[in-house]
Amino acid sequence: MDKVSNKMEIRQISKTFFASKGYFVAIEDVSFDVRDGEFLVILGPGHCGKTVLLNIVAGLDKQTGGRVLYDGTPMDGVNNQISMVFQKLALMSFKTVMQNVELGLTFRGTPKNERRKISQKYLDLVGLTGFEKSYPYQLSGGMKQRVGIARAYANDPKVLVMDEPFGQLDAQTRYAMQEELLKTWEKDKRTVIFVTNNIEEALYLGDRIVLLSECPAKVKAIYPVDLPKPRDMTGKIFLDLRAEISSNTDLAI
Amino acid sequence: MMRHAETEAAVADEKNGRPVKISVRNLTKRFGDLLVLDDLTFNIHANEFVCVVGPTGCGKTTFLNCLTRIYEPTSGDLLIDNASADPQKHNISFVFQEPSAFPWLTVEENLAYGLKIKRVAKGEIERRVNQILDLMGLQQFRKSYPGELSVSIEQRVIIGRSFAMRPDLLLMDEPYGQMDVKVRFYLEDEVIRLWKELGSTIVFITHNIEEAVYLAERVIILSNKPACIKEELVLDLPRPRNIAGSEFIQYRKYITDKIKWW
Amino acid sequence: MMNLEEKKKSGLELFLYWGLPILAILLVVGGWLWFAISNPRLMPNPLQVYERLIRTFTRPVAKVNLFGHAFASLGRVLMALVFAWVIGIVLGILIGWSRVCKAVIGTIFEIIRPIPPIAWIPIVIMWFGIEEFPKVLLVFIGTFVPLVINTAAGIGLVDKINIDVGKIFGGNRFQILAQIVIPTALPSIFAGIRTSVSSGWTTVLAAEMIAAQHGLGALVTRGWQGSDMALVMVAVITIAIIGAFLAFSLNKLEKWVCPWTK
Repeated sequence: MDKVSNKMEIRQISKTFFASKGYFVAIEDVSFDVRDGEFLVILGPGHCGKTVLLNIVAGLDKQTGGRVLYDGTPMDGVNNQISMVFQKLALMSFKTVMQNVELGLTFRGTPKNERRKISQKYLDLVGLTGFEKSYPYQLSGGMKQRVGIARAYANDPKVLVMDEPFGQLDAQTRYAMQEELLKTWEKDKRTVIFVTNNIEEALYLGDRIVLLSECPAKVKAIYPVDLPKPRDMTGKIFLDLRAEISSNTDLAI
Repeated sequence: MMRHAETEAAVADEKNGRPVKISVRNLTKRFGDLLVLDDLTFNIHANEFVCVVGPTGCGKTTFLNCLTRIYEPTSGDLLIDNASADPQKHNISFVFQEPSAFPWLTVEENLAYGLKIKRVAKGEIERRVNQILDLMGLQQFRKSYPGELSVSIEQRVIIGRSFAMRPDLLLMDEPYGQMDVKVRFYLEDEVIRLWKELGSTIVFITHNIEEAVYLAERVIILSNKPACIKEELVLDLPRPRNIAGSEFIQYRKYITDKIKWW
Repeated sequence: MMNLEEKKKSGLELFLYWGLPILAILLVVGGWLWFAISNPRLMPNPLQVYERLIRTFTRPVAKVNLFGHAFASLGRVLMALVFAWVIGIVLGILIGWSRVCKAVIGTIFEIIRPIPPIAWIPIVIMWFGIEEFPKVLLVFIGTFVPLVINTAAGIGLVDKINIDVGKIFGGNRFQILAQIVIPTALPSIFAGIRTSVSSGWTTVLAAEMIAAQHGLGALVTRGWQGSDMALVMVAVITIAIIGAFLAFSLNKLEKWVCPWTK
């Protein structure tokens, strides 16, 4: 009995922005499932629609059409089961690393001791032991993103939403972070929705890849990736898949 | 007074008849007690495309800043055509990771800007600007302002501007760092096309090994800090290169092993 | 990299950092000397000013020595500042955070804002006379306005993503305001505090010059009316020193309150 259950269902989502001089369609009729426990990657070129789509999935933004179901019920606003790793600037510069990771727990009124214990666990997990009292400006780009990941984990979500978390990092730090994220995820499995514009990253991390088109964002294809992890980025199947997805991607010059 | 090139690559190149254009001699940079660059010595030949790779934080930025003379090296020198590099006399162009077109100038004015400063004749400026626009397929944007363009097009304008200068040395610091794979491949092909058409001497710094193997005639591999030259590798793969080819992947793996820290 | 750079400050940098400011002060003093010597009737020389300074203690003006006058001015400013800080910051937060408050209070502010504090002097004197209260009120007006404006702007400029973080992590509206928005805006609130202090210090002097027995402004008027230029200079220099001291202490305070801003 290995029936796949859906954690979330995204149904015919569309988003149109209205301005004084007309309107702009960012997302058009996007549907996909998020299966329980899977690492789902949303891959899209350029800058169109991805973050908006993710904000809708996370309940931060309202769609103009369609529905998002969480465990079968329609979502309305943010949901404490869903946590997010943001693209940039999303650490509180006035809080220490520890205080940043504790944010969700503080809001919920968790007692200090317990808060510290949980946060410390995730700080250790992402390899930031010893930096608890540092401020974000004292950290490198890779370390800042680890704080963001620990913060999301500490909130103990069922679904982790990640918005191009490694987009600002150099290629090597990016590889390092991908490996670490995978290790963290394997130790403490959650359903992950990971957005990226990097095909290699998508193939390295994803159980399935939802490929979006350029503006307006639509689902072009959904690729299951049946390679064991960790994956060899220079392996033949990996490179073939990369070429296939690449040829199906819009060039967003 | 040509010094003799040490590397195998250089010897091969001299046979090909490409003279040494840039010569970096015992380049060393210290900040206080901290040694960042440790005695770097290498040559670059005229029209050569060299990629410099190294582990994150190895001092690539310092290296670049010494080449551009933003930092004065602690010791050692940079020679261009056998004379100590001098911004007054030599023409070094840079492309940085963040596009930096002048927002108040149109694309064609941006392309012409450096040439005007160098007092290139008006007809020649026009010819070169047109040539660049044609080579890059940017004619339709010639009257646009950078703010109206995407980041990747703005970056291409900067690259075009640098090529238009016909620099003695063109330094590129990870210009495609944040672009997605598809765009990156497109732009990499474009930079190769420009280099072949216009013949420039290029030092291209990158964190991305695949990019280095795709672009370079020769790769200089830097060690961890303090950076010294770990190895120089001549890549004699035919172009256009097949990123899935076995030789390509061997090079990629080999260089990755040399610098891997993650 | 910055720290490393700082370590190796060369002689030239030291000169730029310390030498030039000292040179600037010497230039001012030199100019003063030159002016005093060539126009002894218009300008007392430093020695005469020093003697006049001593006399403010041996023969107090209006029964109060120089310190007394300085404290009178400072007292008015501080009293006004305490009220302005509390009310101004609260109002600024309300205007920046709530659309209704912005529509109502914000609009009133847009109308009051262009009126310089000095323009209130006649109105305030006519309504409240020339006792202590109207002077403090004037300073309050002068300090309150920049605070409200800076605070409201700072709150309004908080990046939406920070508020999103608050929502995702389960914060309610009040928690998001108190724990995310206000601390994020703290540097701009501090900019308002800095402006309010300098504006308060100038307003109190203007108020005292018109109607006061005690205070540095009164001292200036007294010297001016009695053609006692040395007394004017004593007051002016005291004003400058206290003003500089206030700015300096605020900088220290800001570093202490906002340790995350470098």
